[in-house]
Amino acid sequence: MHESPIIDLGGFRLDLSAVMMLLVTGIIVFVLVRLAVRNLSVENPSKLQNFMEWVVEFVQGVVASAMDLKKGKAYISLGLTLILFIFVANLLGLPFSVITDLPADFKVFGKTIEATVGLEPGHYAHVLWWKSPTADISVTAGLALVVFVLMNYLGLKLNRKHYLKHYIEPFPIFLPLNIIENLAKPIALAIRLYANIFAGEVLITVILKTGFFGIPFMAAWQGFSIFIGALQAFIFTILTMVYISQTTIHEEH
Amino acid sequence: MNILWENIVITIISFIVLYFLLQKFAFSKLFGIMEQRRELVMSQMNEAAQTRQQAAAYVEEQKKALEQARQDAHDIIERSRQTSNKQAEQILEQAKEEAVRLKSEAVRDIENEKKKAVEELRSELGSVSVKIASKLIEREVKNDKAQEELVDQYLKEVGGRP
Repeated sequence: MHESPIIDLGGFRLDLSAVMMLLVTGIIVFVLVRLAVRNLSVENPSKLQNFMEWVVEFVQGVVASAMDLKKGKAYISLGLTLILFIFVANLLGLPFSVITDLPADFKVFGKTIEATVGLEPGHYAHVLWWKSPTADISVTAGLALVVFVLMNYLGLKLNRKHYLKHYIEPFPIFLPLNIIENLAKPIALAIRLYANIFAGEVLITVILKTGFFGIPFMAAWQGFSIFIGALQAFIFTILTMVYISQTTIHEEH
Repeated sequence: MNILWENIVITIISFIVLYFLLQKFAFSKLFGIMEQRRELVMSQMNEAAQTRQQAAAYVEEQKKALEQARQDAHDIIERSRQTSNKQAEQILEQAKEEAVRLKSEAVRDIENEKKKAVEELRSELGSVSVKIASKLIEREVKNDKAQEELVDQYLKEVGGRP
């Protein structure tokens, strides 16, 4: 098992790998989108603009499948950010990973990496630097928490009466069940994304161990991982939209 | 697998920052452009529909005009045929009248000529018969007026008989 490069900043345990990978993901997404919206044109869009518009229309379709597009217009940006961020994050760990063997008491920015504390001389800590940020359950939990807070906040703000009422439906005794259901949503989101991507990277590591025989498997699995990355990003986005629509929109009876 | 709450916080912050950066610098523009494109397409489609309508109206108009022109042409031909028929009849009528007139003129001329000839012949015949008679009865019949009148009267009676 690989360790994370964590340094302790006065009680705040900073995971350098997560920070770096989130930063890389964010920069890639931002640069990609910025390049796409450079030289925007109504009549003669560039290829990248066309691609971006296709993504926007795809997300519009996702939102429209969950709720009325008129109400869902505000969530298109959210869905776009989610799908691009998660997709890029899922793909980052595919081409390579960076693992360093660090000796005892290795220091970064003047702080000791925790995994290397107290190592005997001659032993090394395998520290994983470059990976998919979504292969870390803390990161997917963070994303799921954003969705969880957002959906409950929107439910309370836009649809308070029905939102609160749904906790005691069909009978008040269902209250604990409904609370569990609500809590299960972000947990399921986080674990689904994490497990898919983490398992993909584990399998890549395993295939690498088989040497030359693994090449065809590797090719197949890399392709499949791209598919999984896109699929998980799509699932995360559409579930977000479905949850938001569940809490904010009440069916007219 | 251990959950680091610090990572959760970092993820939330980075995601929110990314969301607002994208919203501010990219998505609003992109949505604006897409909206503009939608409007452009809509207006073009409206325009096309209008143009098609106009074209249809124009074709209808042209059809009507063509029909009108055909009708006019038909009328003109019909009218000219009638006029020509009438004219032909008129000409025929005129020709007939002319012929009748010419014929009657000719008949009158012939009559006149005949009368003149008869008149001449009669006077010729009178004088010749007087000459013959005077030659035959040179002595008895005197060449005077009374006798010539008598012969004339007689000849008139003869010539008057059919």
